[in-house]
Amino acid sequence: MQPDSAILLAVLAIPFIGAALAPLVHRVLGERTAYYAATIAALCSGLLISQYGRWGTVTVEWIPALDVSLVLYLDGLAFLIGLLASGIGVLVFIYSGGYMHGEPGQAKYYTTLLVFMGSMLGVALVVDLLSLFVFWELTSVASFLLIGHYQRADRSLYAARKAMFITVTGGLFMLIGFLLLGHVSSFVLDGTTFTLIGTEQSLIGIPGQVTHAEAIRHALIEKGLFVPAIGLIAIGAATKSAQIPFHIWLPDAMEAPTPVSAFLHSATMVKAGVYLIGRFRPLFVPEHVFAAEVWTWLFVGLGLATMTIAAMLAVSATDIKELLAYSTASHLGLIVAGFGFAETVGAETGAFHILNHAAFKATLFLVAGIIAHEAGTRSIDALGGLRHDMPIVAAITAVASLSMAGIPPFNGFYSKELLFDAAWETAHHFGGLAWLLPVVAVFGSIFTFLYSIRFLWLFFGDRPTELGEIHRPPVAMLLPAGVLAIVVLVLSLGAAPIAHDFVNPIVKSSLIAPAEGYHFSAHLPHSLKPPVLMSVVTIVGGIATYPFYDRLHHGIRRLRSVALLAPNQYYDRAITGIAHVSDVVPRYVQTDLMRTYAAVVMSAVSAFALGGYLLGGTGTDLTEAVTGVNLALPITIILAVAVIGALAVDRAPSHIVGVLTLSILGFTVAVFYVLASAPDLALTQLVIETLVLVLFLLVLDRLPAFYGELRRRRAVLDGVIAAAVGLTVTITVLVTTAADPSDGIAHYFVEKAPVPTEHGTLITDAGGGNNIVNVILVDFRALDTMGEISVVAMAALAILTLIGMRNRGERA
Amino acid sequence: MSSSNQTTVIVRTVVRSVVPIIILVAIGLLLQGHNFPGGGFIGGVLTVTAFALVYITYGAEYLSQYLLGLTDGSVARRETQDVLDPDTAFFSGTVGRYSAVFGIGLALAVGGGLGAVAFGEPFLSQAVLYFDHIPVFGVIELASALVFDLGVYFVVVGSLLTILAVVGNE
Repeated sequence: MQPDSAILLAVLAIPFIGAALAPLVHRVLGERTAYYAATIAALCSGLLISQYGRWGTVTVEWIPALDVSLVLYLDGLAFLIGLLASGIGVLVFIYSGGYMHGEPGQAKYYTTLLVFMGSMLGVALVVDLLSLFVFWELTSVASFLLIGHYQRADRSLYAARKAMFITVTGGLFMLIGFLLLGHVSSFVLDGTTFTLIGTEQSLIGIPGQVTHAEAIRHALIEKGLFVPAIGLIAIGAATKSAQIPFHIWLPDAMEAPTPVSAFLHSATMVKAGVYLIGRFRPLFVPEHVFAAEVWTWLFVGLGLATMTIAAMLAVSATDIKELLAYSTASHLGLIVAGFGFAETVGAETGAFHILNHAAFKATLFLVAGIIAHEAGTRSIDALGGLRHDMPIVAAITAVASLSMAGIPPFNGFYSKELLFDAAWETAHHFGGLAWLLPVVAVFGSIFTFLYSIRFLWLFFGDRPTELGEIHRPPVAMLLPAGVLAIVVLVLSLGAAPIAHDFVNPIVKSSLIAPAEGYHFSAHLPHSLKPPVLMSVVTIVGGIATYPFYDRLHHGIRRLRSVALLAPNQYYDRAITGIAHVSDVVPRYVQTDLMRTYAAVVMSAVSAFALGGYLLGGTGTDLTEAVTGVNLALPITIILAVAVIGALAVDRAPSHIVGVLTLSILGFTVAVFYVLASAPDLALTQLVIETLVLVLFLLVLDRLPAFYGELRRRRAVLDGVIAAAVGLTVTITVLVTTAADPSDGIAHYFVEKAPVPTEHGTLITDAGGGNNIVNVILVDFRALDTMGEISVVAMAALAILTLIGMRNRGERA
Repeated sequence: MSSSNQTTVIVRTVVRSVVPIIILVAIGLLLQGHNFPGGGFIGGVLTVTAFALVYITYGAEYLSQYLLGLTDGSVARRETQDVLDPDTAFFSGTVGRYSAVFGIGLALAVGGGLGAVAFGEPFLSQAVLYFDHIPVFGVIELASALVFDLGVYFVVVGSLLTILAVVGNE
C-alpha cells in the first residue's frame, strides 16, 4: 500500500509553517510557546505514524517543464528517522518549557528548532539527492543557530562556527558525490536521475521489483568513479555524524542549551550521517558477499576507530555533557561500523543501534540537563550521590546508562552483541589481520562500559559537601526523560515481538534483497557463542579496570595534550591560516581604487574570452570575417566621428571636456543604430546617454578640475589592458556576426510578434505588437526581463543599504 | 546639494518648459511601445532624466517637496536621518517613497504574470484584446503586456530615483 501523498507532504510542510508562525505565537503565549511547538511535533509524528506500514513512493510534480519533481519515499529507515525527529521533538519541546524558563531569545529558539525538525523530516523522507542535500544543509544551518544561541558568549560562537564549517563543508563534498552518481546514472538509465530509490528510473530501483544497483556499480567502476563516489559520500556522512577526525565539532557543540544537545547532537541531526550510510548501503553492498568492495573496509575501519577513540576520549572528559558528546560520537562509530559489514547482521547492527542509541542517549542528555539545571554544575568531579536528591532521575539514569554500557538485558546489549557477531564472522571468514576487528570492538566496548558506569556513579557514592541544595526537577523536565526511559525498557524486553516487528522493516531498508522469509529478531543468548564470550570479556574487563578509572582518565588527558595528536590544533591552525589569507588578499584586491577593479575585471574578461577562442576555436574564419565586413558610406562616416571622439577623450585637459567628448562617442553610436535600422536600440542609447551626461553634471563640481600627474608605467599598463579589451570585443563581434545561426528563431519572432491577419478579438497565441523588440521583451522572453528588472531593483536596494544605511551597524 | 543658487536663469527657464515635454514624450514612448519604438525601459529612463534635470537645477528638496508633493517641509529637512534611522527604514522618508515605487513596479510585473496563471496559462503568458472598427479610433488594442511594461517602467523610475537621491545626499 502506498503512503498518502497529502499526509507525507503535510508532515514536511507543517514544521515550516509552524516555524513561520512561532514568533507571532511567542508574542501571545510567551514561554508557553514550548507547548505550541510540542503540539506541532506531536501532529507531525501522529501523521507519520498513521502511515506506518504503508511503505512506498510518492512523487509530487514540481516543475514539470524541467522534469523536476519531489520524490518522497517511506520505508522502515525513513520512518525511524522521521519518528525520531518528530517524536523526540515532542519530548524535547516539553522539556524546553522547563529548561528554557527565563532564558533569552526564545522566539528564535523555537523557530529554529521547528525549522530543524522540518529539515530533518525532509532528510528522512526525500530521496531525490539534490533535495536531500538542501535539507541536509538546512539542518546544519539550524544547528549553527542553535549552538550559537548565546550570541554574546565567545565559546558558543566558536563552537557554532566550527560545527557549521565542518558539517557544511562535508555536505559540499557529499554533493559532489551525488553529482557523480547522477552523471553515471545517465549511462545506465534513461537520462540522468538523482532519485536514489523508489521509482523505476532510480539509482537503486524499487526494492523487490526493479534493481539497478548492480549496473550502477559497474558503471561507476568502469568510469573510475567508484572510490571517489563512496569517498565523497563518506566524508559527508562522517562530518555530520562526527566520525574521526571530524568529531571535534561535537564536544564544542555542547555549548548549546541542553535540549538542543539532546535533540540535534545525539538523537537526530548526527544520525543524518549514519542514515545516509544506511540509505546508500543497498546501492553499494551486493547480496551474499562477506565484504563489499571499498565499502566494508572504509566504513568498518572508520566506525571502529571512531568507536574506540571517542570512547577513550569520553573517559578523559571532565564535564558531563562532554562525556556524553564523545560517547555519542563513539556510538555513531558503532552504527557506521555496523552498516559497513556486508552481511545481514551488519544492517541489523546499524538499524537497531540507531533506535537504541537515540533512546538511551537522549534520556541521558535530558538527565544531564536536569543535573546542570538543578545542581548548577556540570563538572564530573564536583558531582556525586545525587540519588538522595533525585531518586526518580537516578532510576531513569540507571536504565539508560546500563543500556549504554551494553549490559543484558538492556537494549544496548543486543545491538552490541550484533556488532560482535558481525565482527567475529568477518574475522572468521578472512582470517589474518581481520581478527583485529573483534579485538578492537571489544577494546572500545570496555571504555564504553567504563564511562557509562562513571556517569551512573554521579548518583551513587558520596555526596561532595560543597554541593549546595538541589531542587527536585520540574515535571516538564522529568516527564520526557521518564518517557524515554520507558521506551528503553520496552526495547529492552528482548523477546518482545513489538520491538522485533518494529525493527524488521528498518533492517530491510538497508538490504538490497533480504533473504526469503527474513525477520529480525534478537534474543538473550542461550549458548556460549563467540559474541557472547566477547560481551563477557567486555563486562569483566570493564569491572576489572573501573578501579583505575582516574588513572586512565589522567593518562588519556596527557595523551590528548600532545599537539600532534589533537585534531583541534589542526583545525585552529587551518582557520587562523584562512583568516590570515583573507587579511592579505584585500590589500591587493580591495584597494579602494576604481582603477584596480576595472583593470582586474576587464583583463579577466578578456583573458577568459580570448582563451576560450584559442582553446575552443571560433568556428569561423577570422580573415574572411574581416574582409566580409561591408560598410555603407554614412555608417563609415559616423563611425569615423566616433573614433575621433574617442581619441579626443584622451586629449581632454579637464573632466568637463572629457565628459562632453565622451558623450560624442555615445551619441554617434546612437546614430549608428539609427542607420542600422535599430530604432529601439537607438532610443535606449540616446536616453541612457542623456541621463549619464546629466548625472555627470551633478557630480562634476565635486571632482578635481585637473588630472593628476601621469605615470608612464601605469599608462602603458592601462594601454595594454585597453587594447586587449578592444581586441576581445572586436573579435567577439566579428565571430558572432559572421556565424550563421539557424534563422528559425528569427522567423518565429517575425511571424508571431505582430497581429496575425486572421484573428478573433482575444489573441493569445501571438504577441499582437508590431515592435518585435518590445514584444520579445514583454511577452516571449518576459521571464528574462523580469530577472533584469529585479536586478535593477536590487542595485537600487544595494545602494540604499550600502550608502544610505552604512552607519546603522555602528549606531546599534 | 543646493544647486538652486548656482544655476542661471536661462537653465531654470528652459528646464521649466522642457521637463513637461520630456515627461509627455516618456509616457508616449511607454504606451506606444508595443507597436512602435519605445517601451517601459526607455520611458522610465527618460522620465528619470526629466526628474534629474529638475534635481540639478532646483535641488532635491524642490523635487520631492513641491513637484512630487511627497513630504512636508519638516520631513524633507530630516531626509538624511530618515534614511539612516532604523525605525523609519525603507518605505518612509523621501528615499523610502522612491524605493516604494520600484516595489510597486515589481509587484505589477509579477502580478501581471500571475494573472496568466489564474487563467491556467504558464506564468507571464500575455494576451491581446483587439477591437476592429471602433468609431474615431479605428482600432483599439489592449495588450496585457502593457501591465508588465508598466511594471518595468516603475521599477526603472523607482530604482534610478532612489539611486539619484541616495547618491545626491552624499
